[in-house]
Amino acid sequence: MMDNLGIFLQIMFWGLYAGCIYILLATGLNLIFGVMKIVNFAHGEFLMIGAYITATIFFLTGINPYVIILLSMLALIGIGAIVERLCFRPILGTGKLNEIFLSIGLIYIFQNGAAMIWGDAWQSVRSPYDGITVPVGSLSVPLDYIIIVAFTAAILFALYFFLKKTTTGMEMRATSQNRKGAMLVGINVERIDIISFGLGCALAAAAGTLWVVSGQVFNPYMGSIPAVKAFAIIILGGLGSIPGAIIGGLLMGIAENSAAYLLGGIWKDAVSFIILIVVLVVRPTGLFGEKGE
Amino acid sequence: MNFKRDDLTKYGLVAILVIAAAVPVLSDSMFLINLLVLMLISIIFASAWNLLAFSGQGSLGHAAFFGIGAYASTMIAVQSGISPFITIFLGAAVAAFIGVLIGLTCVRLKEWFLAMVTFGFAIIVQTLTVSVLAPITGGWDGIASPRLLSPSIPGYQLIEYYAVLIITIASLVAIWYIMKSRIGLAFLAIRENEVEARSAGVDPVRYRLFAFAISAYLAGVAGAIQIHHIGYLTPELYGVDNSFWPITFVILGGLGTLAGPVIGTIVLTVIWEGLKATGLTFGRYVIVGFILILTIIFLPKGLVNLPERIQVWWKGRGRNETGAKPQRE
Repeated sequence: MMDNLGIFLQIMFWGLYAGCIYILLATGLNLIFGVMKIVNFAHGEFLMIGAYITATIFFLTGINPYVIILLSMLALIGIGAIVERLCFRPILGTGKLNEIFLSIGLIYIFQNGAAMIWGDAWQSVRSPYDGITVPVGSLSVPLDYIIIVAFTAAILFALYFFLKKTTTGMEMRATSQNRKGAMLVGINVERIDIISFGLGCALAAAAGTLWVVSGQVFNPYMGSIPAVKAFAIIILGGLGSIPGAIIGGLLMGIAENSAAYLLGGIWKDAVSFIILIVVLVVRPTGLFGEKGE
Repeated sequence: MNFKRDDLTKYGLVAILVIAAAVPVLSDSMFLINLLVLMLISIIFASAWNLLAFSGQGSLGHAAFFGIGAYASTMIAVQSGISPFITIFLGAAVAAFIGVLIGLTCVRLKEWFLAMVTFGFAIIVQTLTVSVLAPITGGWDGIASPRLLSPSIPGYQLIEYYAVLIITIASLVAIWYIMKSRIGLAFLAIRENEVEARSAGVDPVRYRLFAFAISAYLAGVAGAIQIHHIGYLTPELYGVDNSFWPITFVILGGLGTLAGPVIGTIVLTVIWEGLKATGLTFGRYVIVGFILILTIIFLPKGLVNLPERIQVWWKGRGRNETGAKPQRE
């Protein structure tokens, strides 16, 4: 009996940890979707770039990888701004399918560009806290997992305050509520677009850094599956809803780790899509979504 | 002299057809024949995807139907000993059936959701193939598939080439017929404005399912031919790559047109094979990515639209010189 409880708690912890990465990805997507009403299927590629930037800096300098999170976020704000300006802005408003197709082009470029720079082998990084565990109740949890959860919470709080308290944050919320209205009161919506896209990419970069420091393997093609899961999450949680993304991310993390435990690791990816399809059949607007966009 | 775009397309397609039929006479390079067979298969696959997109549904998981057609056809051929030439169409029917099932979950969904569901579906099918179904599919290792024709038959590659050419032409004619008929009109109406289409008495669900069925069937045919041509199949057929290729071909050629997938496939295959000579590996994909993005931004209607664009530009140039309005036909 105690054994079952232990396994259950273990799965919950794995789920919480996997969920953190999904939450960051999904929140970034939601931010971009909320403001620009576009869906970037290449979002996972920003996670991958963030992961590689972290690993490269770590290999070169050996500084604590948790510190690199700031650098990788800054770098991805820049890359995101360029992608928004050059790729998404010219096709804004030309149809939803175009955005999907454009993302496919971005996926080709980023994945294979990264493979040209870093090679396509699986790599991994050893965290400085590797092997240290903290006893929580009856089980011992790796310190890295706890730091990752804390980092995710801190980033989400920072984002919350940015959106609620700063002028730019308020402008972003205004643009997401009503683009034309925001233009009428003098908000430069194109500037807001770039900022939102950059921030969304920065959140993906944070997820990439956390992915790397937790010791998970990465290669140039790692981004697609987490990105599509992040999509599943924002569909579950309702498009544009950040609390929905958080709850959805946790549920997804727990669900796939339970499935991996019960059915075998091969089912980890498929189960999230099965959940997604079931939810869409039963409730086409998502679990918490008021109305489908 | 003014060409109408339709005429241009028609003559272009006929010209391509004549060249395609004449190639084996002009060259006896088996490498070229093999390449052309794979290109014809890509044309069927891209056209299948295009038909679904024509009805307003952009699938990101067409590799699922491609792979299901291939696996089903191989299974039937292995179990019953029927010639692969027949099982191609039986396997594709399985793909069409599953296409209708997945279509049922998709018909009421908007673009992104549909893209997500189809993408996820390909992953689910791949997972099933390598886990539960592994005893009959061979798991990740794959299994051997009967060849279309035994290599012992003299000139088997030529026979195969012409057979695939005939199937390709038949598929294109079928798609052309569907696009020009009332069904095609209904697809267009649904794509442009579903509410208006509904109020005009067009049932979107029925037509979308029909598009899914035909598209999945043709994708299954393409998959089955490819696998019987190569003689081996692995679950990598269901990969993301295989889902993205038809999209790239169609966007480059021209979305929603009959000639688009054909032209896009030919042009991109030539570029792709040409780049092979440069020794690039990942770089080739990067270039394809750039081609795709530049096409979407600067030539949103694809290469088939290029003559018209040039014509407009030519006329505009005339106006600037003479100061008169360009003459309309």
